[in-house]
Amino acid sequence: MIRTALKTAFAHKLRLALTALSVMIGVAFIAGTYIFTDTIDNTFSQMFDDIFQGQDVIVQSVSEYDVGFSGPAPMDESVLDTVLSVPGVAIAEGSVGGFAIIYDKEGEAIVPTGPPTIGGSMTNDLRLAGNVGLRDGRVPTAPNEVAIDARTADDNGIAVGDVIKVQTPDKVAEYEVVATLRFGESDNLSGATWAGFDLNTAQELFDLQGQYSGITVIGEDGTNVDVLRNSIAAALPDGIEAVSAADEAAAQSEALSESLGFLRTALLVFAAVSVFVASFIIQNTFRIIVRQRQKELALLRAVGATGTQVVWMVVIEALLVALVASILGIALGFVLSSGLTAVMGALGFDMPSTSAPLATRTVLISLAVGVLVTLAAAVLPAIRASRIPPVAALQDVDVRLRMSDRKRTLIGSIVLAAGLALVLNGLFGDILDFGPLNELTAVGVGALLVFLAVSMLSSRVVKPVARILGWPLPKLDNLTGTLAIENTTRKPRRTATTASALMIGLALVGFFFVLGNSIKASTSAAIEEGLRADYVLSVSGFSGGFSPQLGETLSTAPEIGAVTALRFGFWDNNGTEDFVMGIDTDTVEQTIELGVVEGSLDALGDGGVFVLQDNADAEGWALGDTVPMGLATTGLQEMEIVGIYTEANVVQSNFLMGMDTYKANFEGFGTDVDFVLAVKAADGVAPETSRAVINAAAADYPNVEVRDQVEYRKSQEAQVNTILVMFNALLALAVIIAMVGITNTLALSVFERTREIGLLRAVGMTRGQIRRMIRWESIIVAVIGALLGVVLGLFFGVVVTLALKSQGIDVLAIPAGQIIGLVIFGVVAGLLAAIMPARRAAKLNILEAIAYE
Amino acid sequence: MTMTQTSARLAARIEDASKVYGEGDTEIRALDGVTAGFESGVFTAIMGPSGSGKSTLLHCVAGLDELTSGRVYIGDVELGPLKDKALTLLRREKVGFVFQAFNLIPTLSARENVLLPLLIAGADPEQAWFDQVVGILGLEDRLSHRPSELSGGQQQRVAAARALVSRPEIIFADEPSGNLDSRSAAELLDFMRRAVKEFGQTIVMVTHDPVAASYADRAIFLEDGKIVGELLDPTPDTVLDRMRQFGA
Repeated sequence: MIRTALKTAFAHKLRLALTALSVMIGVAFIAGTYIFTDTIDNTFSQMFDDIFQGQDVIVQSVSEYDVGFSGPAPMDESVLDTVLSVPGVAIAEGSVGGFAIIYDKEGEAIVPTGPPTIGGSMTNDLRLAGNVGLRDGRVPTAPNEVAIDARTADDNGIAVGDVIKVQTPDKVAEYEVVATLRFGESDNLSGATWAGFDLNTAQELFDLQGQYSGITVIGEDGTNVDVLRNSIAAALPDGIEAVSAADEAAAQSEALSESLGFLRTALLVFAAVSVFVASFIIQNTFRIIVRQRQKELALLRAVGATGTQVVWMVVIEALLVALVASILGIALGFVLSSGLTAVMGALGFDMPSTSAPLATRTVLISLAVGVLVTLAAAVLPAIRASRIPPVAALQDVDVRLRMSDRKRTLIGSIVLAAGLALVLNGLFGDILDFGPLNELTAVGVGALLVFLAVSMLSSRVVKPVARILGWPLPKLDNLTGTLAIENTTRKPRRTATTASALMIGLALVGFFFVLGNSIKASTSAAIEEGLRADYVLSVSGFSGGFSPQLGETLSTAPEIGAVTALRFGFWDNNGTEDFVMGIDTDTVEQTIELGVVEGSLDALGDGGVFVLQDNADAEGWALGDTVPMGLATTGLQEMEIVGIYTEANVVQSNFLMGMDTYKANFEGFGTDVDFVLAVKAADGVAPETSRAVINAAAADYPNVEVRDQVEYRKSQEAQVNTILVMFNALLALAVIIAMVGITNTLALSVFERTREIGLLRAVGMTRGQIRRMIRWESIIVAVIGALLGVVLGLFFGVVVTLALKSQGIDVLAIPAGQIIGLVIFGVVAGLLAAIMPARRAAKLNILEAIAYE
Repeated sequence: MTMTQTSARLAARIEDASKVYGEGDTEIRALDGVTAGFESGVFTAIMGPSGSGKSTLLHCVAGLDELTSGRVYIGDVELGPLKDKALTLLRREKVGFVFQAFNLIPTLSARENVLLPLLIAGADPEQAWFDQVVGILGLEDRLSHRPSELSGGQQQRVAAARALVSRPEIIFADEPSGNLDSRSAAELLDFMRRAVKEFGQTIVMVTHDPVAASYADRAIFLEDGKIVGELLDPTPDTVLDRMRQFGA
């Protein structure tokens, strides 16, 4: 039986290849996601190993909550003496770090598009500097000396001895370059620019006089690190801890990896969509294969094969497809992963050339998904195959082995109802409570069921829809058009399944179009209403922030009426990462409409937090209640709610703190700089004048972008557009799989209709006409898929937008142009998918076709 | 070697035609220097045992297959130099076909199947001629049916109507009655004879059935790729006699 299965499989190489292709792309997506994120993990872990290389123990403030930019709070320098007095400590130095921008020799700031611009102190003893080494020059020792990373130096023609400007939180000043630095074998730190100063200078520049962010310790030769750590820890005052450098490296790399966990999840969700689409293709292919091999299978039954053996034959073929495709998929995963790495590189995040790892887990998951999905999709056709009666071998009968239409409609309707119930309950209802995270999963599962149901039910609409769609065809293209319509409608289920595969991808694209445009429209409207400021100054890329100096300069200018600074901080909201904005409470009324419904901004200036109405409602918080906030510097704080507000679209945060409260609770790297400035011109000042003043002030802060209201709105829309483009690019794979599906189905149909095509050719149909017939057929299928997708996409887009009303997405925008574009895309997809089968059909040898059994 | 030379116009002819499949030891000469002409307005039967090359002869004359050497003409047009497109157009305009099985497009109605060559060409049918053909074949009330709703005899009559409706120079029929019961076969063959007698149609039919051949005006006998005999106004008996002579 196995040999028979293998023989049949190899006898139909093309069919096998196309089926395998759809599985392969899906598996590649999964494998690629794991390989890519593992590469990032490895890179980080390598990077932190390097950073802490050669160090034994790190002394730092106890951090209640470690995230992203906010490092540990500074400690007093006296701690260093304590550390040095511990027996076993050979050398120890303190260090500080912060925000710094390097300028090139022409005075232009060097601001990478993605990675941060950072600076810090350099240790006198380079043994304490981890993997930081000198490429050229010497360690800076004077207040006017700086060392910069070798990449920045090379890229900008800066050499040791040059004098350049460097911007730190409080000032821009000139320094002599005394060294270029390497980081292990790399010339920079994952794309960041780095400026190193001597310790005293750095302390002054980063406003940390008499303080250290951390102390690095190397023990005497032969000292056990754990013993050393314990003895240092015993000597330290409260609130300061000692950790082994290895643990700290692991912890930091883990923290960064975790913050990228969403990336893995998001990619896997898109991969799942691809695999789901692929399962449609597999099922369709095997159904057609079984139908085409009806006689052969019946003959096997007639000569004594049991039904079970026939099932096994089909299953073994599926298994073969799955294994080959999964293995190729894993290989293709490497290509996808390096593609993603290239994209990251293009965005400015240099990834050192760590080789892409293939974890056992990646192989197992990829194989499992590939094999299980293929088998699951092939099981129904296989069972169907086993029901072929032996008599079918002798008679030329079309054995009906399918579910009856009525049964199918019934099951489809039940699945549809269940899917819709899950989606709507997840979005609006609370009849079934799954909890917030599971709710998302419930909505996802619901959407999946809806897709399945629509695919089941759509076979009923294929006929009328194809007729309507094809209505102009016979007029355009006479017989080929008529034949195309008839061909798509003769096997409605096949057409429905093929179209459904395309439907899924395009429905999601359509969904994102509606949601994205609604978000854009809502944000625009909210900005128009909520932004009283004339200008918004924000940091470009991910470079953290900019010096508060800018805000101070502007607020003293007579042309400027009010300046509100916003700072950004993460906190631990009962186990989930949340964020809070620190704002200038004195000026915010003039610049941003918060819609304060309870409490007052004055109170916020004195302490406590503001909570967005929706969050307060959801948690049952009222004015005077406390919110337990896990804060990086100060640990768990019960913050009193001193106000409730309704407009979060401009501040983009559901929690607000007064700036003083913020500064008291957030210290360390990245929190000493402003994130956004909302600036209002003084009354009666012409826009050109105020703009000129702001531009002049901001010119000294190269990573700051100045936007007026309109520009700001556009930039917010552009952000949504970027995400839309990314999502659609990820969905492209699912759409490609669907196109492969159309190609496969058409190729199999052409094979099935060999005699028919031969006859058409004999009585005078040209090759061109045959090709046109297949093309029209493909276009009809694709457009049915696109239309179904658009309808579903609109539906999901509308309900999700409505459900997000409380999140501030209160404008429903349906992008007619983009939706029409999707349908046009369907036509193009159909054309492309038809190329290969149309060519094959046209090339059929007439005589063989006529004689074909 | 016999060959009928009359003053009548030849609808198709084949000269010194050979068709070789395979090479060396496996070489098969399906046609071996065949020369024959098919007069306009004559119903010719090509007879011969299995493997005699009769179907190959039909396919080559009809422009469905290419000769290894020799020449084929439909009317005055030599098929050899024609490219696929020109050949296809020639088949569409000048040739009609009736095959043994699978003659009809299952998704098209009987009417559309009859009109198939015209629909492919985008040409308008002559309504009167269409009605006449359909009337003679008794298909008037079956025109809106799909092939699957027609009997085998009706299906072959639809195919015959299709072959006639475009008034081709010549109709090629490959065992047209091979799959039919004797009554349906007689009806179909009778109609083909009427088409020749009444409308001056030219038909070349491949068959191995002496009864079918007896409907023709003339029978050509093929064996091992060569023409081995000819019979005018054949009857089942004379055909059988002749076949015995060749030991077929």
